[in-house]
Parts: sequence; C-alpha cells; structure tokens
Amino acid sequence: MKLVTPPRVSPQAFDTAMQAFAGVVGKDWVMASDADRAAYADTYAPGPQEQWPSGAAVAPASVEEVQAIVRLANEHKTPLWPVARGKNLGYGTSAPRMAGSVVLDLGRMNRILELDPTLAYCVVEPGVGYFDLYEAIQRDKLPLWLSVPGNAWGSVMGNALEHGIGYTSYGLHARNLCGVEAVLPDGDLVRTGMGAMKDNPAWHLFPMGYGPTWDLAFTQSNFGVVTKAGVWLQPAPETSLELVFDIPEADDIGWVIDTIAPLKISGLIDQNVFIPSWLGKMVLKGQRKDFWDKPSAIPEWRVAELLKEHKLGYWQVALRLYGEEPVVKARADVIKAAMARNLKAAPVENWWRTGDPINAYETTMGVPSAVPLQMSDWIGGRGAHMGFSPVVPATGKAVLEQMKLSRKIIDSFDVDFYASFTIGGRFANNVNMLMFDRDQPQQIETMKKLFNALIDETAKAGFGEYRTHLGWMDRVMDTFDFNDHAFRRFNEKVKDAIDPNGIIAPGKQGVWPSAYRDQAKEGRV
Amino acid sequence: MKRGLTIAAALLLAACNQQEAAPPPPQAAAKGGPPPPPPYQMRPEAATGSRLAASDGQRAYEVHCGYCHLTGGMGTNLLTKQRMMAGEPPENGLLTNRTDLTADYVRQVVRMGKNAMPQQTRVDITDAELDAVALYLGKAK
Repeated sequence: MKLVTPPRVSPQAFDTAMQAFAGVVGKDWVMASDADRAAYADTYAPGPQEQWPSGAAVAPASVEEVQAIVRLANEHKTPLWPVARGKNLGYGTSAPRMAGSVVLDLGRMNRILELDPTLAYCVVEPGVGYFDLYEAIQRDKLPLWLSVPGNAWGSVMGNALEHGIGYTSYGLHARNLCGVEAVLPDGDLVRTGMGAMKDNPAWHLFPMGYGPTWDLAFTQSNFGVVTKAGVWLQPAPETSLELVFDIPEADDIGWVIDTIAPLKISGLIDQNVFIPSWLGKMVLKGQRKDFWDKPSAIPEWRVAELLKEHKLGYWQVALRLYGEEPVVKARADVIKAAMARNLKAAPVENWWRTGDPINAYETTMGVPSAVPLQMSDWIGGRGAHMGFSPVVPATGKAVLEQMKLSRKIIDSFDVDFYASFTIGGRFANNVNMLMFDRDQPQQIETMKKLFNALIDETAKAGFGEYRTHLGWMDRVMDTFDFNDHAFRRFNEKVKDAIDPNGIIAPGKQGVWPSAYRDQAKEGRV
Repeated sequence: MKRGLTIAAALLLAACNQQEAAPPPPQAAAKGGPPPPPPYQMRPEAATGSRLAASDGQRAYEVHCGYCHLTGGMGTNLLTKQRMMAGEPPENGLLTNRTDLTADYVRQVVRMGKNAMPQQTRVDITDAELDAVALYLGKAK
C-alpha cells in the first residue's frame, strides 16, 4: 500500500518523524514499507483497504517509549492510532480512522504484571491476548476463569476498551476494568482510581477512586493511550450447569427476553445470556452454497426446511450457571419453571464439576478460541463480516420492535438475516451479522447501503449502536443528537483542551480534534 | 471420499457443539456421532531472547500461529475440510503434516493473508520468526 501521509505533512517531514521514532524504538520497530502498511490495513474492509490507510506503524516496548513517541508525534504533527493487538475484526482491524495516522502498535507490551487468585484480578499490558492470559492461569493452576469474546484472538485490555462483550458472569468487559494507567496526549502519565496515590494496593480493587472517575473515559476514546489496566476475573466455580433451550419461532424472542431479563436483573442469573439465531449454528456446518445456492436471501420456506433438517430452533438459549452445586440446582429450578410457562420441551442439561475436562470451544466457560471466525467461510472466498449492533431495553416489546425493524430493512436488501441478542442486564446488545465476500464489489455496495439504512432507521426508532466500524463512526456519532449533539461537542472540548495538536486517534468514534476537524468528511462510507 | 466428508462435517459440527462438557465414550465416533470437541491445546511459552534474532521454528510456529493452527483451531478446521475436499487425509489440516508447502509460500500467506486468514504484521510475527517458521513448515523444495 503506497504511502499516504497525515494532512499537511510532506513525505520528507514524515520520514524525519519516522527516523525520530526509530531513535526511540529501534529501526526494526518502525514499520513504514508498502508491505507494512498493507499488513496494518483493515483486513475485513468493506471495499478497498485504501479507504483507511495508515502512514506507518511503530511498536514501543515500554511506557517510557510510548511517552517518548507521543511527545515526538506532537513535535512532528504525525497523529497516532493506538491499537492493543490490532484484532478489532469487523470494526476496522488495526486501521486508523484518519488517513496517514501512524498505528501505535502496543503488541510488544505483553507482560502480565499481576495475577491475583485471592482477590481475582490481573494487571495486564495492552499486548496480552486472551490466549496468553488463559495459558498463564493454566500453567500456575490458578482458580480463575476468563470472560472471552466470540473471537478471542485479540487483547484482553483492547477488547474491554472497545466495550467488547463476553458470555460469562464477567461478560461486560469494560466493567471489569479497574484502575488504568494512561499516557496523555502531551506525554504525561496518569493513573486512575486509587492508583492516583503512589503504590496504593487498592488500585485495581476499588472501582471509583477519589474525585472524577476517568477509567471509562479512556474507553472508545482518544483522550490517551492506556498502557496498563486492572481487569477483574471470575473465581473458578465449583460446578457449572448449562441449560440448552431450543426456541422454535422467531417471534418467541419476545417472551424469552421477558422471562430471562428479570432473572438477570434480580441476580439469579449471573451470566451475559447469548441468544443467537439459527444461522449462528449453520455457519459452522458448511458453506452457504451447500444450503442455498442463489445470491438472494435464503427464503423463509427454506429456513423452515433447514431448521427441520438440522433439528434447530430459530433461537437457541444456552444458559450457564456457575457456583456451588446446591445453589446452581436451586437456580436452575427457578429458570426451568419460568421457561416452562412458554416452552414444553425440557432443556438439555450439561453439568460440569471441578476436575472434569473443559473442551477448547467452551466460550461460556472462558476458554479462548478463534473458531467463531470460521463464519467467514460461510460466504466462501475472502469472507468477511460487519456487525450492526444497536442496544435495546431488555423487554420483549423493545426487542421485537428492533428485530422487526432491522429484519424488514435487511429483507428489503435481499440479504440473510442473522441476529443475536445478548442480555447484559437491563439491556440487550443486538448484533446483526452482515457477511460478505471481499472480492464481490456488488455485494459490498449492497452492504454499505444496508448499513447506512440500518443506522438511520434504527436511530429514528430511538436506538443507538454500542460500537461500529471506522467508516460509520461519524454517522453513528451523528445519531447521538440530544441538545444539538452536546455529547460530541463536550468530547471535542475536552479533546482540544488536552490534545491541542490532535495527536491521539483523531476521529475515533466521531470525536475530532480541531486540528483535523476538516478531515471528518473523509473516510465515511 | 464420501466417508471423509462425513468426518469433516462431524469435525465442524463438533466445533459448534457446546453441549458436551465431558467427552462421550470413544465408541460414539465409531457409531457415526460427532467426535468429542478437542481439549484446549496449550502453546509453549514464548522464547525470551530478541525477537529480531534467529529463533526456534517449532516454538515460533506454536506461539504465533497456534491461535488457529493447532488441533481444533479455526485454521485447522477450515484446512481439514479443504484438504479432504481435495482428496487428502484429514490429518493434512494440520500444517505440520503438510509436505507440499514451500518456505516462500508460507512467508507469502503469512504476510498477505489468504481466504479466512488475515495478514500478519511484523509485531504479530517478526521477519526472523517467520523465517524460522517458514523453514519449519516448508518441507517442499
């Protein structure tokens, strides 16, 4: 990928900046060749990867190196796009929002600084992946479980900072963050919460601290570069029980939500309950063409046939309980009685007890895997996906309303409907997977138009997204429109105050520093 | 071949089967049921020396490619299916069992990506590590 420099930076000046970076990290860790730029491109880009080109990448190995790079970036006016492990697949991978930004790849900072089995937390650097943390826990035989996202190839901290979700009791990953260290846009170093006091041992234990609480202000944010974070972990339970309910009809999602959400809110269910539609199971059984060989959406009659052939319900609720056996049993009885009000069939029950083996695909038991990415093979070729992810109140009424709305729009574009709802408490994250082949321009055009329609129509219905791809960051920010977009204006005021050169992640989530606000129109889809 | 495909389908089915916490008795697979999902395969600890110097190919492979290319990984599952469709045994889904890969081909796929596999940066795997992996996997000349 050919060199694109940041706005108002000549190739010569850019090269001078790269030499300055090399003075900090060594020349091998400044990656500025065409091949390097291609490696940092959005692997699942809808359309040409050149839409979001980085200028180069630089990989520091320590907090001090991050500080030095940030100071040099200010000096040379070369903005940075921090990534932890750069595996934000479906949302831009490691590519920057603004063309020519230098990817600040924190993957080399991969130390697990603390792993405490008593108070059940760890302190990690950005480069620590789920696999790394899982294996460190296994090696020391510690009684700790992770919460992993569907694709666990990425960074523990990075996923939490992007508001990623998992499917255990600790599934709201941003909420597990407790006490972060961040390099500010001027190169200063701050610690949040109790960590603001030197050597305070409660840094990663007390979630508030004294005064304004900034931990979450560094998530989906361009206010700093997070270099350490405390992350709470789940104590390994004595037993776990999975209850698997097959839910026959699409519209059943209404009563399912009205049954499960109150139990989640009351605390009887700890888990983030993931409710995928049938297509979530089918994508692992083969390729789309094995089941429907036309480009048009799979019609309802064929869906009905497939559900019958493969003995699938339209939805599957695989609910998991964790804890001491008598407690788990008592909780299961309450859930089974509640579900039986609308569903005759008893659930399949799978018990796990301490000492039993856990297989490699047990996402709800915190085992990291990249296997869910196999869904890219469903479309075939260079398959890719994007997620349209609105948040809705956890009531059957709101969920049905949202599902009908997005389904109508997706149907009108003749695209397969693949939804899931994850009940995280008083809300549900609705993820609509849109799968496409990167080598089919027509398909990509359809997806882009569809995505725009989904955002706009869903906003009209009053719902917003929790996360989105680079190309739609501004469009989604535009939907947060209370009081003439006061939220964006406030964020940009803060941004300009702490980052006058706009050096950290300009445009992240639609928040632009004044230095680059003229670039906000570029890179939109 | 037909039987091969059935096994591949079963392997993939196993991939999404979250219901089997404990492996079923061994005869289940023989009766045509899906084989048990594999256990998590631990990767070795990363080498401690400079990542820019020559390294041990096997360890570099397991550490940096092991997320997807050990038993039960996403890459292994997809390649198992692909290899079987090409009439090869399912074991060829593991890259370490392949004899037809050249070192250059390995380098190219790692840096450029292929099908479901995203391209890898030099932080994911350094040139020195990739050279070692390419020699380790590249059994064809």
